[in-house]
Amino acid sequence: MKRYSSDWYWFYVINYSLVIIIIFPIYWTFISSIKKPAELITSDPTFFPRSATSEYYDRILNYGIRDSIVVNNDDKDLKNNPDEEGVTVDRNYQYADKGNIKRAFINSSIVSAGTILFTIVVCTLGGYALTVLKTPFKNILFLLIILPILIPGISLIIPLYKLMRELGLTDSHLGLIFLHTTGMLPLGIFMMKNAFGSIPISLREVAMLEGSSELRIIISVMLPLTIPGLLTVMVFAMYVSWNDYLLAFLFINSPENIMLNIALQKIALGGSQFEMKWGDLTAGSVVSFIPIIIIYAFLQKYFVRGVTGSAVKE
Amino acid sequence: MTRLRKEQIVGLLMVLPALLLLAIFFLYPLANSFYMSFHKWPLFGKPKWVGLDNYIFMFQDERFWESLKFTFVYTLTVTPMLFIVAMGTALLCNAKAWGTTFFRSVYFLPVVMSFATASYVWLWLYSEMYGVIIFALEFFGFGGSDKDLNVWKTGTSSMWAVNAMVTWKFSGIQMIILIAGLQTIRDDYYEASKLMGASRWQTIWNVTLPLLRPSIALALILSIAGSIQAYEQFVIMTRGGPSNSTKTLVMHTVDMGFDYFKLGPAASLGVIIMIILFVLTVIQLRLFRKNY
Repeated sequence: MKRYSSDWYWFYVINYSLVIIIIFPIYWTFISSIKKPAELITSDPTFFPRSATSEYYDRILNYGIRDSIVVNNDDKDLKNNPDEEGVTVDRNYQYADKGNIKRAFINSSIVSAGTILFTIVVCTLGGYALTVLKTPFKNILFLLIILPILIPGISLIIPLYKLMRELGLTDSHLGLIFLHTTGMLPLGIFMMKNAFGSIPISLREVAMLEGSSELRIIISVMLPLTIPGLLTVMVFAMYVSWNDYLLAFLFINSPENIMLNIALQKIALGGSQFEMKWGDLTAGSVVSFIPIIIIYAFLQKYFVRGVTGSAVKE
Repeated sequence: MTRLRKEQIVGLLMVLPALLLLAIFFLYPLANSFYMSFHKWPLFGKPKWVGLDNYIFMFQDERFWESLKFTFVYTLTVTPMLFIVAMGTALLCNAKAWGTTFFRSVYFLPVVMSFATASYVWLWLYSEMYGVIIFALEFFGFGGSDKDLNVWKTGTSSMWAVNAMVTWKFSGIQMIILIAGLQTIRDDYYEASKLMGASRWQTIWNVTLPLLRPSIALALILSIAGSIQAYEQFVIMTRGGPSNSTKTLVMHTVDMGFDYFKLGPAASLGVIIMIILFVLTVIQLRLFRKNY
């Protein structure tokens, strides 16, 4: 939009103020995570840390997460009165002292890597079949695959829980990977379909004349040309699986398999206002957002494309 | 076997993994959510057909109405906040000026963080005793002279505190959608409007906004649908408190299903959420298409 030159001053004042507001919570979390307790827990906050320590990182990475508490017991009466179906069950909030952030970080990485891998394999094959090949019922199949856009997965958690129990996929990383991959299908197939669609069909024909198999053609001829689409799908798969909270909360219940976001919840619920939990929690938050911010720094374009592409889905 | 037949078979085999995942983890649970909502699910033994009992149970439950009301209040308050910030930053970032790419990447930055992590970060900022936002608010005179401000004290203040976090976290997505829309508006329109002597606000109001309607619709749908599904931010920041005043529909569903093990009513809640989101999306699309 055209602007009037006298306004540039305000343009930059407003923009830089916003930048400071946006960055501040992240900066504050970071410096909080390295301040010594005496400087952290004080009513006289410092905007540039005077002390530095790695004790919170040490603690959360190497020792178990303390776990004193639980639940918001506003519904106590209801819990003590077994309902007509005759059971009361306490949600399993209490974890033994085994899970720690290092473990959780590795678990989250496993699930993210698995989701990325499954997603690109499934979506590449599906997108290829629905675009390049003369697959029967192409259009119907495509509509079926993007159907979940209209029905958010969150409304299916109850039947999903039952299903996962029946399949023995609760408390399993594989189970989470399957769910995240399924969630990725509409966007992933859509993106890969577009990516393959923009490649001239003659390329495949040439490769076929040379006697290459279909898989060979995909891997060595087509895929290199779909790198932007592929990266978008991968980055978004990472975003979805690394940032998930609800599924990790519902389907993982042993401390060895705990996911990062849930491990942070353990820290947040542990301790009290006066204890050290804030140091641990800020350190944990840094551990959880650093990987995704690094990826954002390098693959920004694909990130924006993936996340806004999913906008239709959300 | 002809080449065509072979290609068809290969194609079906390739799309099979996607279809299997879809059938097992989406279509089956989808069908089952209706089935479950019409049955009673004892922990042991067979499910029993109960017709609409689960729905009746749920509708007679005060907590359902409370959570529904809260979810709507939250949606109605957070949507304008998100939209105004997103619109402002989109207009700012659409200027042809040095630094807009940088500003845009910064405004999008919080989006990449998970809702959970953002909630933990802001939990610290809002900490009653040592939170930096609390210090700032107290400095400006909130919380009275004894400086005992606690945003989690009442349901309303809790909600606004969460709204602020969500606006920080999420307006970047809407900004990108609006920028994409702004970029489709040709410069001629602005030049014509300038020639006709329109002020900047007149131009925004009469040229930019009407032409931006499809993007605005998309941004609003996104925000409304997302807010109806709100979960993490409230579980982590308010835990539904104080006294259940910030319990969202999804939280209520999770409690129903996993705290009280009332699978039938919980499944019917899922169906209700599904219908609400579906209807909202259709209404929104209609609304914005009519005048376009």
